[in-house]
Amino acid sequence: MTTATNLRQVPFLRRFMSFTWLTLGVAALVMVWSAFAQPSILVNTLVTGGMWAIMAAGLALIFGIMNVPNFAHGELFLIGSFTAFTVFSPIQDALRDDPSLTWLKVIGPFPGMLAALLVGALVGVLLENLLFRPLRRRSREQWVMNTFLLTAGVSVVLINGYRLTLGNNFRGISHYWDVRPIELLGVPISVDRAAVLVIALGTIALFSAFLLRTRTGRAMRAVAQDETGAQMAGIDLNRIFTLTMAVGCGLAALAGASLLFLFPSFPDVGLQPLYTAWFVVILAGLGNVQGAIAGAFIVALLQNLTITYTAVGWVDVVPTGVIILILLFKPSGFFGSGVKGVWEQ
Amino acid sequence: MRPTLTSPKRRILELTDLEAGYELLQVLWGVSIHVDEGEFVAILGPNGAGKTTTLRAIAGFIEPISGSIAFGGREIGGAPAHLVSRMGLGYVSETLNLFPAMSVYENLLIGAYAVRDRAAIATTTDLVFELFPRLQERRSQLAGTLSGGERKMLAIGRGLMATPSLLLVDEPSLGLAPMATLATFEALKALRERGVTILLVEQNVNTTLHLVDRAYVLEQGQVVLEGTGQELLANSHVQEAYLGI
Repeated sequence: MTTATNLRQVPFLRRFMSFTWLTLGVAALVMVWSAFAQPSILVNTLVTGGMWAIMAAGLALIFGIMNVPNFAHGELFLIGSFTAFTVFSPIQDALRDDPSLTWLKVIGPFPGMLAALLVGALVGVLLENLLFRPLRRRSREQWVMNTFLLTAGVSVVLINGYRLTLGNNFRGISHYWDVRPIELLGVPISVDRAAVLVIALGTIALFSAFLLRTRTGRAMRAVAQDETGAQMAGIDLNRIFTLTMAVGCGLAALAGASLLFLFPSFPDVGLQPLYTAWFVVILAGLGNVQGAIAGAFIVALLQNLTITYTAVGWVDVVPTGVIILILLFKPSGFFGSGVKGVWEQ
Repeated sequence: MRPTLTSPKRRILELTDLEAGYELLQVLWGVSIHVDEGEFVAILGPNGAGKTTTLRAIAGFIEPISGSIAFGGREIGGAPAHLVSRMGLGYVSETLNLFPAMSVYENLLIGAYAVRDRAAIATTTDLVFELFPRLQERRSQLAGTLSGGERKMLAIGRGLMATPSLLLVDEPSLGLAPMATLATFEALKALRERGVTILLVEQNVNTTLHLVDRAYVLEQGQVVLEGTGQELLANSHVQEAYLGI
C-alpha cells in the first residue's frame, strides 16, 4: 500500500495508476505473452477483435449520437450476411464451372461485401426516416427506453420476417477464397481470416479518420456532445442522424458479410454478435467509439483465452464474468467517465 | 419616451407582436422589438420576464404562437434553428452549449461549420484569437476544462466564427466573478466597435445601460419601456426597480 502511494506521487506514473490503465496494461501484456507462448491466441484475437470492433463501433456511434440503444444491430449483421450470400453464390457457381477465372477468384468476394455495406446503410437510413424521426417529432420523453423497445421490436420483426420468407435454412459458404492457408507468426491462418483482419483494420482506420479529421465527422461528434450547440452552428440534426444510422448499420452489415464463412445466414445469426457488441460497449462505456474499438480487442482476447484453456461452451461465460468483475470496480466502463453522451448532461 | 429614430441604416431584425411560450405556458404577450445594422441593443428585465424566450424564438428553438420575426427582411418565425444560423444569425445561449470533449480550436471550427472557404475560416479564427488572446493560449485545451470566463469567451468566439450579421448574446455575466464579467463586457464593446450588431440580454442593468445604444425593458412578457441607454438611466421606473436609487 505504501509503495502504491509513493508511486502515485510520481506525476508520470500517476497517469497510469488508474484501474483502466492497469487493466489495459494487463491485456496488452497477455497479448505480448501470447505472441510468444501461444501465437494462435494473438492471431485469433486480432481477427475476431477486428470484427467485434466494427460491430461495437457502430453500436457506440448510434448510441453516442442518437441515444438509441440499437438492439436491432444483430439483424443488420444478418442482412449483411444474407446480402453477401446472395451476391456471392452466383460468383461461386461461375468459379466452380470454370476454375480458370483467376481474376474472379481474387476479387469475387468483394462485390458481396460492398453490396452488404450499401444495403445495410440503406436499411439504417430507412430505420431513421421511418421510425426514429416520427418518434422524435412526437416526443423525446423516455427516449432511451422507447427506442430500446422500438429496436427490440424491429429485431423480432426482422428475425421472423426472414424466417417467414426464407425459412430456417442455413445459407453459408465454406470459404471465400479457395486457396491454401498462409502463415502469420507461425500460425496457419486461412486467407479468409487474414482478409477479415485486413478489412477490419482498414475499416477502423478509415472510420476513425472520418470521425476525427473530416468536417462531417467533427459535426457528428459535436451532435453527440451538444445537440443545441450543434444546431446553433448550423448543423442539420436530421442529416447527421441519417448519416449516423447509415454508417453504423453499414458497418454491422459489413461485419456480417466478411464473416459469412464462419456465421452462415440464418434467422438468429445476429444474436451472438449483438450480445458480444453489447459486452464491448458496456465494458468500454456507452457511446464511446474509440473505447469500443479497444474494448472489442479485450473481449476477443478473453474469448480466445477461454476457448484455448477451457472449452468452446464457456466462450460467453468467462468474458461476461470478467466484465461483471470490472464493472463492479468501474461502473461506467473503462472510458465512460471522461466523455459523456448527450443524455447524461 | 419613444426615441425618434430616423436612422438611414438597414433594419436587421424586427419582431412584431410576437407571442411565444412553452406548451401550456405562454411567456411572450405581443413583443415588438427592432435592431438596426451596427446597433448595440439590450433587453433588460427581471427573472421570468421572457428575455431568454425572446432570444430562443428568434434563434429558431421555439416556434412562435403568433406575430412575426423578420431577419434581414425575411420571415424566420418557425424556421429550424440550423437554417436561421446559416442565414447569418449567431446565438450565444445562457448555457453556452459548448462541446466539452473537443479542444478550443475544434469548438471554433464547428462554429464555422457553414463556412466552406478555408481562408475565411482562418481569418475569423485570427480575429477571435485577437479579441480573446486567452483562447489562443488554450487553443488545444479541452473546452470542458476551461474556467467560467474562458467558456463565455469561447461561446462568443464560436458565435462569431460564422461571421453573423447579428449576434444574440444571452446573459454573459451569469455566474461570472466581477473581473470576468468586466472582461466579457469589454469584449462585447470591442465587437461593437468592429461593427458587429449585437442584441444582448442582461440582468446587470447599470453596466448594460452605460454600454448600449438602446434598450428595451421587458416585464411579464411585454415591452414596458424602450429608449437609449441614457434615457433609461434617467427613467424613474428603471431607477426604482432596477438601479435601487
